Amino acid sequence: MSPTTRTLAATAAVGGLLALTACTAGATASSPSGDAHDASVTIGLTGEPVNFDLTTTAGSAIPQVLMNNVYEGLVALDQDGELQPKLAESWTVSDDGTTYDFVLEEGVTFANGEEFTADDVKFSLERIATDWAINQGKMALLDHVEVVSPTEARVVLSKPSNIWLYDMAGTVGLMFDASGIGDLANTPVGTGPYTVTERVTGDHISLAAREDYWGEAPAITDVDLRYFADVVASTNALRAGDVDMLYNMQAPDLIPQFEADDELQVIQGSSNGEILLSMNNKVAPFDDVRVRQAIAYALDRQAIMDAAWAGYGESIGAMVPPTDPYYEDLNDLYPYDPEKAQDLLAEAGVEDLEITFDVPTRPYATAVSEVVVSQLAEVGVTATIASDEFPAVWLDKVFTKHDYQMSVILAVEARDLLATFNNPDYYIGYDNSEIAPIVAAADAGSEEEWVDGMKEVAEITATDVASLPLFLFPNIVVADAQLDGIAGNAVTESLVLSGLRWD
Amino acid sequence: MSILTTPSGQASASAPADAAVPEPDAMRERSTKPGGSARRRRRGPNAQLVVGGGLIALIALAALVSLVWTPYDPTHAVAADRLLSPSLAHPMGTDRYGRDVLSGIMAGAQITLLVGTVSVLIGAAIGVPFGILAGMRPKRLGVLIMGGSDVVMAFPGLLLAIVFGAVFGGGTLSAMIALGIGSAPAFARVARSGTLQVMSMDYIFAARAANRSGLAIALRHVVPNIGGMVIVQCSVNFAIAVLAEAGLSFLGLGTLPPTPSWGRMLLDAQQFLATSAYLAIFPGVAIALAVLGFNLLGDGLRDRFDPKMRNR
Repeated sequence: MSPTTRTLAATAAVGGLLALTACTAGATASSPSGDAHDASVTIGLTGEPVNFDLTTTAGSAIPQVLMNNVYEGLVALDQDGELQPKLAESWTVSDDGTTYDFVLEEGVTFANGEEFTADDVKFSLERIATDWAINQGKMALLDHVEVVSPTEARVVLSKPSNIWLYDMAGTVGLMFDASGIGDLANTPVGTGPYTVTERVTGDHISLAAREDYWGEAPAITDVDLRYFADVVASTNALRAGDVDMLYNMQAPDLIPQFEADDELQVIQGSSNGEILLSMNNKVAPFDDVRVRQAIAYALDRQAIMDAAWAGYGESIGAMVPPTDPYYEDLNDLYPYDPEKAQDLLAEAGVEDLEITFDVPTRPYATAVSEVVVSQLAEVGVTATIASDEFPAVWLDKVFTKHDYQMSVILAVEARDLLATFNNPDYYIGYDNSEIAPIVAAADAGSEEEWVDGMKEVAEITATDVASLPLFLFPNIVVADAQLDGIAGNAVTESLVLSGLRWD
Repeated sequence: MSILTTPSGQASASAPADAAVPEPDAMRERSTKPGGSARRRRRGPNAQLVVGGGLIALIALAALVSLVWTPYDPTHAVAADRLLSPSLAHPMGTDRYGRDVLSGIMAGAQITLLVGTVSVLIGAAIGVPFGILAGMRPKRLGVLIMGGSDVVMAFPGLLLAIVFGAVFGGGTLSAMIALGIGSAPAFARVARSGTLQVMSMDYIFAARAANRSGLAIALRHVVPNIGGMVIVQCSVNFAIAVLAEAGLSFLGLGTLPPTPSWGRMLLDAQQFLATSAYLAIFPGVAIALAVLGFNLLGDGLRDRFDPKMRNR
């Protein structure tokens, strides 16, 4: 090749690089043709489960797929966040609040053909203390389960609890079969309307509707969950009609474009998910409350939401979304005040602070981190970003080994105030000696006492800046306009599929 | 993206090495071209050299100026100023965080030049000594060295960098080291072919007859005579490194945020192509100009140095 040809070739290669980049958004071709839909749906998601064992593996990716779809609990939350009967058709609570009598649905079978009975309730709940690796605290009050009859189960708690039944609508309340737990990581066996038929790591998970489901048969019989590491790839797939719906869409700046497209619908559902700037309370410098408070003063949370997420979201001042019964507006607890931040840092003796900021490889996290780093620099805090592959590396390093100083994560669990802060062994490492007695008293008290107690807990943890919730994350769903029954409100981690149908 | 940058990186990684080997036939052919005599070329102004040098000087200037001054802090996010189209206040507009793109391009030149320089130095420091050794001991040792070099060369530099990023964590340092190691075989080839030529010269026989040691011959005769070719290779590999760094950053394996990098600016621009295309155009043009500049510079330098080689 002559020198000039080579130069031209190299330049053409660079041009090609540009052109290719341009292509990625150029695929605005036809949206889903939409006429003849069969009974299948392809859903685009981000954040793939590393396995299917939600009893030992943390994170929302597994319950997103399995909860309410493959596994079911005695109770479930509806789209308004209200408790509804599921495998239990009814229940009564004793006057002292410690005994729950559940009447179970009849004719329910697990996907392996076994019948669902009160024995399974006993097996599933009592197994949590011995075999689960996470969330055991939520079942700590369980004393024992009595099998009254095959369709009647009596759950006895060691003391009354305002939270327990609500928690039963989460992962700890899911029902397992004794013969179906041999390979939880790969073969989940539940009573739900779907079973997992295929899992291709790095690509997709396929679910198929069960023919012997006890409840109403779902209209969609085949669901493909496709996982995208890249936001642009996922939105292009939607535009090209390769996926029918993007759930928890991570490109807020594209919303106006989608809204302008008649063949698509945009749903902005409510969410329990807080973007949490987590600080490791057990290591320097965040073991000093003044440093954490300084961070809270240093960050302009509204500006972070505006810059990182195009203003979509909701400001919160504590780890409590406005939809929770014990919500209180604590937004003004730490107004943006960089000078105060600098004073507090000086008081703590850590001017020119240098920290490492572990950022999971999720679009919201990288976006938020860039703005946070910029704002921290204003008060003299140098935050060096370390990029952690999500979920595997982040869960291992930050969540499990607590090997971090500061991180940022979307905490999607419902009512996760206590899970986050009332456990000194959690990755936040917040010293809960002050709130633990309040929590215990509130949980055992009347509903009013509970609400008051939880408000107090929210206020204490927010004042201590146990960690800093930045804003409430919007659950944005973009879908084919003809797709109905989308569960757009993210009331739990679960993406409920059974209501979906084509118009 | 990786599909595209890998082959181009690969192709140009091997092409310059081969092209730089001054095959006697090719040299003769070139010298017989009308108007292409070595003497005239050396005297007259070389357009490639001037344009290439000019582009590189521009980028170097931007990098130097950005060390002390940029219009805005390139990492400072201003929520109110996000996604502004190019204007007088922001000649290249602002990005999704409200950061000034021009400032980012200027500061990004630092990373571009740093990665290019360090990876080329690493590549030359490893490749040239081995190449000279292989050229001076062409029998068994030479075969062994060049065999090893071919093995490394078979491994695309970008892939090596991705593996490095996965093992040692992404970042500028691991990218520079991986790209440096990946470019070493190209230097080894150039150095070996040059050495082979030099070793057949009469003055080497003379030096040998005078009982000069191998090291002395290498330093006194070989290095000065292949220097020009190595410099040409440096320039070419610089271009490759610039492109590779941009590619790695685009994949999220290169320079970590918030340090401005042209590749990551392209990455961030992706979802705004329909609405704010300028976000992709400016860093894209910057990368293209840098690559073009170093390639032109390499071509121009070759035209300078090759005739010298022939005349000796």
